[in-house]
Amino acid sequence: MTNSRTPVLLIAALLAPALIGLVVFRLYPIALAAGDSFFNVFRGERVFVGLDNYVALLTDSIFWNSLRVTFWFNLLINPIQIALALGLALLYVQQFKGVTFYRILFLIPIGVSLPTAVIIWRIMLSQDGLVNGVLGIAGVPAQPWLTAESLALYSIIAIATWKGISYWMIFIIGGLQNISPEIYDAAKVDGVKPWQQLFYITIPLLRPTLLFVLVADVSINFLLFAPIFMLTQGGPADSTNVLMYEAYKSGFIFGDMGRAMAIIVVVVAILLVIVGLQFRLLSGKGAR
Amino acid sequence: MSVSSNPVRHGLRLGAKHLVYALVAFIFVLPLWWAVVSSLRPNAEVFADIFPFTAKALLPSPASLEAYAGIFERGFGMIIANTLIVALITMATGLVVNGAAGFAFAMFDFKGKKYILTAIIISFMLPFEAIALPLYTVTQQLGWLDNIAALIVPSVANGLAVFLFYQFFSQVPKDYAEAARLDGVSWINILLRIYVPLSMPTCISAALLLFIFQWEAFLWPLLAMPSQQFKVIQVGMATFQQQYQTIWNQLFAVAVITALIPIALLLPLQRYYVQGLAGAGIKG
Repeated sequence: MTNSRTPVLLIAALLAPALIGLVVFRLYPIALAAGDSFFNVFRGERVFVGLDNYVALLTDSIFWNSLRVTFWFNLLINPIQIALALGLALLYVQQFKGVTFYRILFLIPIGVSLPTAVIIWRIMLSQDGLVNGVLGIAGVPAQPWLTAESLALYSIIAIATWKGISYWMIFIIGGLQNISPEIYDAAKVDGVKPWQQLFYITIPLLRPTLLFVLVADVSINFLLFAPIFMLTQGGPADSTNVLMYEAYKSGFIFGDMGRAMAIIVVVVAILLVIVGLQFRLLSGKGAR
Repeated sequence: MSVSSNPVRHGLRLGAKHLVYALVAFIFVLPLWWAVVSSLRPNAEVFADIFPFTAKALLPSPASLEAYAGIFERGFGMIIANTLIVALITMATGLVVNGAAGFAFAMFDFKGKKYILTAIIISFMLPFEAIALPLYTVTQQLGWLDNIAALIVPSVANGLAVFLFYQFFSQVPKDYAEAARLDGVSWINILLRIYVPLSMPTCISAALLLFIFQWEAFLWPLLAMPSQQFKVIQVGMATFQQQYQTIWNQLFAVAVITALIPIALLLPLQRYYVQGLAGAGIKG
């Protein structure tokens, strides 16, 4: 590039709209949340309360339960989604006659929004819904999938997984296509079994892609909101009351924006720590 | 697959393969299929044939379009139009804004470029939900609550779209631009005449991304439009679910329409969408 004539004005003009948008509507809100978490509103007046909102969270059993639910939910859903997305991607990239038809069907959940998926699944999972009907053939009694404390969280995991894995599959396909076919040819000559090929060739070579998917997937699931809002409202007995929903409830149902913002700041902080750890663990381990 | 000497074994393997694929595809298709079937039934018949379960449950035995007529009477056409307006404006402006930024990052070296790019990647790693609550305060400060601008403007700049364009434009050989520069072509013309036509697959991919983002937006429109005069589709659907709990066939009709529009866009363009996004994961 001809450095002597770098068109500074042009660069500024090209970048400005996107950067201003990202600063005003992404960065600034985060700063604002941090700021607002130090305030409370008393009789319509903003009062600086320092760390009070955070200190209050420390002894708030609802918050701790919510934190526990959020972690448990994420410990389950992320590995499940990534393993299934990988399996699906491996199916997707196979070449045989008729595979295009299946490929199109695999992509359907991408077009179905999460709220739509939630509505359909809610009716499918209702007491006299399709799922209980099909299980009835096998003699399984009807289950209260969404209203039992022991089942609701897992039903939400199932719905979000149904909706999510096609999307993550796409990124993994990109990673798979990046692996040179010669490696597999060589492995075949050496008599490597398919499962060995998966664990010793495919997965290690996919590490950067899987890391990207893991980080992005965790970020989304850590902040999952719509299914909880639409299906369970955090219940039954707070068993699905993830932090995002608790923050929403705090701010928009109980009007306590200070507490809501404090929760958001805690959520984003935890998320950043998790993402940082994932980068360290997965890019370090045996890579070089 | 190695050439099998035994045709019977080969046939069995092919059959097993199709069985696995069909089973997986069935799980993906079933909810939508059932939604379509149920939306075509009279409301009293939605749960018919489930207990005991028979295959008839998956066929719209007495099919009618009465549920679809019903939801349009309840003003669902307006909601679809609203959402299309929001999504299409976001898509069009988003392509220009994010494409321009991607082009600048790919073509020029400048101070702090690496840091800005890193910040952009972090910005799309952090889901919209994280900032939805504080964004409400920003929107309030701007006086945009209940204004359609609150739905469009914050969604135009999209880190992932910038990144897609950046990635694509970086792969285009620099010779093109340099040769054109020597011929005295302006940068704007280089972008419009050379780079934009080359980047059609990326444009499609980014356009779908922006469109689907708006089409699926739920939490943000719920917060930003408190009076609900201007309803978008996901919120409209959720309200419908609360209001008309037991009008199952209409609820299904709403769900089907909500799903069908992005699917209709996605299926013919799936190659571009998959290729465009698939690239993002490799370098990301």
